[in-house]
Amino acid sequence: MVRILLRFSEKIVEQPIISQIILELKVPINIITAHVNSKGGEVLAEVPDEALEKLIKEFRKQGATVSIPKLIEVDSEKCVSCGACITLCPVEAITMDEDASVVFNKEKCLGSTCSACVDACPSRAIKSVKQNNTELNSAH
Amino acid sequence: MCSSGAIINVGHSDPPIKIEQAWINDVPVCHPGAAVDLYIGATVMSERQPFEYGGGHVIEDLVGGKEVELKATAYGTDCYPRTQVNTRLTRDDLNQFYLLNFRNCYQRYDCAVNGREETIYTYMGKLLPRLRNATFSGAGELNPLMNDPDYETIGIGTRIFLGGTQGFVIGEGTQHDPQNRFGTIMVRGDAKKMGPEFLRGASFTRYGTTLYVGLGIPIPILNEGLAKKTAIRDEEIFTSVVDYGVPRRNRPKLATVSYKELKSGKITVGDQRIRVSSLSSLKTARKIAGTLKSWIQNGEFFLTAPVERLPVDTVFKPMRRLEETPFVANVMQKAVTCSESEAVQAIAERIVTRSVNHIVVVGGDSRLTGIVTSWDITRALAQGKKALADIVTRRVITARLDEPLETASKRMAQHNISALPVIDNENKVLGIVTAEDVSKLLGR
Repeated sequence: MVRILLRFSEKIVEQPIISQIILELKVPINIITAHVNSKGGEVLAEVPDEALEKLIKEFRKQGATVSIPKLIEVDSEKCVSCGACITLCPVEAITMDEDASVVFNKEKCLGSTCSACVDACPSRAIKSVKQNNTELNSAH
Repeated sequence: MCSSGAIINVGHSDPPIKIEQAWINDVPVCHPGAAVDLYIGATVMSERQPFEYGGGHVIEDLVGGKEVELKATAYGTDCYPRTQVNTRLTRDDLNQFYLLNFRNCYQRYDCAVNGREETIYTYMGKLLPRLRNATFSGAGELNPLMNDPDYETIGIGTRIFLGGTQGFVIGEGTQHDPQNRFGTIMVRGDAKKMGPEFLRGASFTRYGTTLYVGLGIPIPILNEGLAKKTAIRDEEIFTSVVDYGVPRRNRPKLATVSYKELKSGKITVGDQRIRVSSLSSLKTARKIAGTLKSWIQNGEFFLTAPVERLPVDTVFKPMRRLEETPFVANVMQKAVTCSESEAVQAIAERIVTRSVNHIVVVGGDSRLTGIVTSWDITRALAQGKKALADIVTRRVITARLDEPLETASKRMAQHNISALPVIDNENKVLGIVTAEDVSKLLGR
């Protein structure tokens, strides 16, 4: 599975784009987080690797922007491995290893759609990365 | 630790200045003494970037060799005529630069949780509602005062590891509370020899800035007793799980846990398993212990006997107060209630006969299920709604009996509401506190 971040503008946010694409392409899409209101929506979803290209094409055709989310950046110079962030992660992507170092599992992380750990870091070592659409060029 | 800081002497300008107010990188620094002595308090926040940059960060920048900006003003005297100074300094430009921490190294500390309905930001970090996480502080079995709990080897003059160099204990710390195993120490060390690896500025969201201080104390095994005491393990060190959701001096203690449980990542409170994490770096604590050991082995660090031991009998007193602080319990009134099955008409009549604006909706055992205001009733009439379910507010903002009135009042303002049902731990309605009652008492 691979994670994609879908953005829907105000114009198209009310259309059932994800459902339509699931029905048309018969591809399972696992929605991990979704923030939607009348002004637009941002959905983090997991999709099968082999379906990635055709899904991206289809979502773009429907007017959504698609990017591969680069989720968070941890500045290892700033991080002192205090652990303040660990319990705030809803998907347990942050753990402490044997030698008491704080470890981030970026596969599990929900990134900018969550960011619960960012303001809990006393060292300000965690940054949620703003998505941009150019990152997807490699997927074509 | 928040009660940390550094004393610096910046040298005299020509003509000289008797500094009255000063800022380093926009952080106000205290001017406690003669003309050009300044104290950088770790918790003082930058005026331009409050909560993000503060005295702790200034100290980190200085020990890291960075240049900082000093601004100072003065009223001018015959002997110190200058009224303003603007310059840039590094640690090499300072005459003295000493870390001078008046409370460090807490023997142990409470484990914090939050029993409230909303996330709170505290000096114990970000605490999720309804006990969904917990935080703790301290190194447990690695804490120096825990290893020498009778302070046989720790006192004034004890040479220690401080911020990456050698420093000294200069006495007991503020709030030293030895009888409750909450001992603290006051320390001093030459910050010019320290490094940012063991001195880090920290920002606690919506609380403020502080300083991470790396500190280690060697304990000589002078007798059998000390051998035994220093063998202390995390499972033998206990602390309380405390509800930081209650903003009182004595916060409710919900459970007792060991440092072993705390370091395992999960604790149990009642029937709830709670994820818990540390606020102090165990990794750094281990590194300090290892570094100190190697210094001693290499003959670079000599142990000292204390000139005077830390007191073992001092008491940590609360503040003497001349007036009583009002609490919710002081203004709470009996709540006018209704049940889920009542019609809007009946509730409307009750609002009139009892002349109130809020009706608290209760279920069995008088547990809170919602609230209806006179405004809701007006709207129901205007829109022809007859069922309570159509107009009731389910997400009710509440207050606690032992909560200071001021915080309850702030919560009303924050949510733009005019009353809070007062509930107990089991969600049972005890009464109601209204903005009207609050303003009568607080005179607002």
